[in-house]
Formats: sequence, C-alpha cells, structure tokens
Amino acid sequence: MTDAPLLQVRDLTRRYKLPRQSLLRRAPVLTALEGGAFTLNAGETLGVVGESGSGKSTLARLIMAFERPDEGQVLFRGRDLHSLPAQDLRALRRGFQMVFQDPFGSLNPRRIIGWSIAEPLRASGEGTAIAQRVAEALEQVGLHPAEASKYPHEFSGGQRQRIAIARAIITRPALLVADEAVSALDVSVQAQILNLLMDLQDDLGLGLVFISHDLAVVASICDRVMVLQHGKKLESGPAADVLRSPEHPYTKTLLKAAGARP
Amino acid sequence: MIELAKLSAHFGDATALRDADLVIRQGDRLGIVGESGSGKTMLALCLMGMAPDSARLTGRLSIDGRDMASASERDWQQLRSRKVAMVFQEPMSALNPLRRVGDTVMEPMLLHEGLSRSAARARTLSLFEEVGIPDPEHRLRQFPHEMSGGQRQRVLIALALACNPALLIADEPTTALDANVALRITDLLQRLARERNMALVFISHDLAAVARATQDIVVMYGGDMVERGPTAKVLSAPQHPYTKGLLGARPDPAMAGRDANGKRRRLPTIPGSVPPLHGLPKGCRFSGRCPVELPQCALRRPAFTQTEASRGAACHLLSEGRHD
Repeated sequence: MTDAPLLQVRDLTRRYKLPRQSLLRRAPVLTALEGGAFTLNAGETLGVVGESGSGKSTLARLIMAFERPDEGQVLFRGRDLHSLPAQDLRALRRGFQMVFQDPFGSLNPRRIIGWSIAEPLRASGEGTAIAQRVAEALEQVGLHPAEASKYPHEFSGGQRQRIAIARAIITRPALLVADEAVSALDVSVQAQILNLLMDLQDDLGLGLVFISHDLAVVASICDRVMVLQHGKKLESGPAADVLRSPEHPYTKTLLKAAGARP
Repeated sequence: MIELAKLSAHFGDATALRDADLVIRQGDRLGIVGESGSGKTMLALCLMGMAPDSARLTGRLSIDGRDMASASERDWQQLRSRKVAMVFQEPMSALNPLRRVGDTVMEPMLLHEGLSRSAARARTLSLFEEVGIPDPEHRLRQFPHEMSGGQRQRVLIALALACNPALLIADEPTTALDANVALRITDLLQRLARERNMALVFISHDLAAVARATQDIVVMYGGDMVERGPTAKVLSAPQHPYTKGLLGARPDPAMAGRDANGKRRRLPTIPGSVPPLHGLPKGCRFSGRCPVELPQCALRRPAFTQTEASRGAACHLLSEGRHD
C-alpha cells in the first residue's frame, strides 16, 4: 500500500438532478463533473482552476468523500474512499483534511478556537493530549498557543484562515484540499497565507489540491495545473507550461483576467 | 463637483478616516484602493451621506459648492436621488429577491422623477441595452435568482444609472464575480463613465481592475490617503512603501516556480497585519510594518509631499528628499 500514489482520481463523474420543469417530462440532469482524473504524490501541489459552475467544488467534495460520485473512484493511498465501509472511512479521514473559503463561516462563533481546532481529533476518536496538539498546530500556522482560548471574532480574516489551517493539519494529514482558501483575503494577507501553505508543505510533505478561480494565485503555489470548465477538463500540465503556452482559448481568457497587470 | 478638505470620521477615540482631501470633477475616473480597514468604504459612505450615526465627522465636504458635512438626511436624500448613485459588492443581496428586476430599476424613476410607467419602462429598456443585458424585454420580467452574478451586477448598474447621476460610486463592484466577468463589468463601468461624462469613484482592493477603469488613484492605509496620482504612474512606479508592498504581494505568474535549489519561490509580503482602529500608530499609520522606517515615523505624521505635478505621497522619506 505504501507505494500507491497519495491520491488517484479516476474517471470521476457527478450528476445532479435538477427540479422537474414539468410533470410529464423527466427531471433535467446537470453533469457537474465528467471524467475527472489525476494523480497526486506526497509533497506535490495540483492547482484546479475554473469559474463558478466549472465543477471544481464538486471535485473537492468528492475527494473529501462528503458525497458519492455517480462513476469513478477516489483512491487515497490506493484505497477507494467510496467503496469503504463507513467505519474505515472515518478512520482514514484524519489523513485528508480540507480548508474552506470562508474562515468565519467555518468556525463556531460560540466556541473558543481551541475547541474548533480540536474538532477533527475528537471526530476521529483521538482523545489524548488534545491541548498539546492544539498548541502545536497553532505554532505551525504562526499563532501563539495562548490564542487558543479566544473566540473567532477576536481575530482578523487572515488569522482566522490560519486557524482554519491549524484545524486542518491537527490530525497530521497527508493530503490537504483547499477550496478558494485565499479568495476572501486582502492581497497582502493572501500572500502570507500562500507562503504559509508552501512552508507547511515543505515541513510536513503534504500533498495539496489547491482550488481557485484565480490563475495567478494558482500559478504561484502549484506544480501542476488543471483547468476545468462546465465540469470537463480543458487542459492540464506543469504550471509553467500552461501559463507560458495555454492551449485552450478559455485558459487564455483566464490568463488575461489574472494577468491584467497594472 | 465634489470637494473634501480634511474630512475625518471619528468613532470615540478611534479615527476611521483621517484628513481626507479630494477633488472630483465631472467625468473624472478615480480609483480608491486599500485593504480591509483602510478607510475606503468609510470614505464612500461619507460621499453618499451614509456614514453611520455613531461617526463624528469633522472637516469639509462640499458638493456643487454646498456644504454637506452637516446636511440633513432630507438634503442627502434629494442629492442621492439625482446626483450620486452607488453600486455595491454583492448584487444578490442588493436586489429585492421578491421583485422583478424591471420593477426595481423603474422604482426611482417613478418616485424621484414622476415618470409614467410606460416612460419608465422605456427608459429601463434602453438602460438594460446600455449596460449590455441581452434580450431586455424578457429580462425585465425576471427575478434576481434567475440571473447570473454578472447579469445581476449589470442590473444594479442600470439601477444606479436610472436617474442619470453625475457621480457613480462603485464599492468593490467586481469582488464577488468570476475573473472574466469582473473584467467585463470593469470595462462597462469605464465605458459608461466616458460616454456619459459621469464621474466614477471605483473602490476596490483589486489593483488590476482599478488600473483598467481609472485615470487617477488614491491609495489608503489605516484611514489615511498615503499616495495619489495618475493610476498608471502610481502603479508602475509607486513611491509610498505601503503601495510598493501591496504591489509586490500580488501573485505574479511570471515569478512563480521553483528556484535553483528546487524550492518554490515565496511571495514577498508585508510583515504583520493591519492594527485595529484604536491601535493604529499615532504618526505614520504604516510605521511598525514599514521596511524602511525612520525613527520619527511612529511619532510624527508625515506631510503629503508632492513629488511631481499631480502626484505624491505622505512619507517621511519623501519629505526628506530621499525617494528613489
């Protein structure tokens, strides 16, 4: 099992039934993702770029096993997440964690952040040395361990995203999925968080799936890039190649939008 | 048309906006950039007469020669109905979800100009065409949820233009939109301002959008206007250390990749974070985070130094003639 790649995604397809338009006709179906496939090794970063409706968040939810695909497989260290018994999946979950876009919405406002950060530990049944693990995670994201007893509203947006990252790494995962993790942040804060993600990857050897609508952001952190539109992969390859000579006109548009430099 | 002189907004001991000086003439396209807590939204609210009641305003704000700093809500309402309009960040929450968008856009024309329904409808149709909404007859009857984010933002722009304002304030109009939609909305605002000879105040943290839409720019930090001048010049050769830091922190595809040792290149950052309002340094607001700080920076406020005709920055390095 150890020589299996960290993450393998094979022919992933997800369709959603839309509300019926008429009693007489079948409900229309939206194909949110069609035939998504890639392999990610430890320490690597794959950037997934696309706009709203491109299927990038669907891909994230399928990798995280928040929902099931209609076709295809997600192999984490060689084991198919979607065919595992629930109990095994729960045990495996500590190995892959997610960072969401809105750090305020993903932290419980009534709980001190130390409680929120420890949530994945409790969920996976690890009950020991929680306070110490929280302190460790806070230090890894550049916050003081004493901050654990504060509430989310006492932090700035950038600090809250650091807290969300601390929560994601507390189980010592091998894979991190970041969905628009820096999109809500100011430019200078965004740069700090991107650097933090790169530092953590270097230190912990994390594999990272980094999802964003902003090609410039993706390019600054990713080894490889995959461009999605309407649920389909338009092109993929080493970040430098895709940026230097995009094959698809849509990628060129994205590049223009991202590269509209002053 | 609009003139601000030493306009400040205080909340108790805290100052959200400090000594803002600004002149906006007809047809000007002005960008205001800054990050959260820079005071840019407070500035916009002051221009609209919508500063929160808890704010104490000092200084002068005159519109068409009239002093508005102490004007009544009634005066402001009149001004807002005809002269100044605003486009907000989130087109979904700014539109009434239970009303057809056509009715929403027609409302100010019926209310403020006393147009007949058919005249208002005709003007709405032509506005929809002007802002690039295809099939306007059909779109008029739609509800906000039936439209895409970009279309909704166009509706809001049409609504803002309903009474032919002389000044349009757009506060983060592209932030909630996909990149290439944002690009088109930016170009639309710029085109409308030029075609209508309307002044545009474009407030954004997105430097690329501001660069596309505006002629002049003001950079704000911690409630101060720290740098200003022609947009192209300021963004290509910034003079204030904060502006330099902000531009440097933008991810640049050309700089991405790995260095000779195989390590991924880190982005340049501004150290620390924006202090809370009541914790801002008394002198230069940027002191404590500034890479080229002098001993006097934390204590004394830097004067605004004009470095060329029509541009300058508030920095002690400049006032000592040590800029590069």
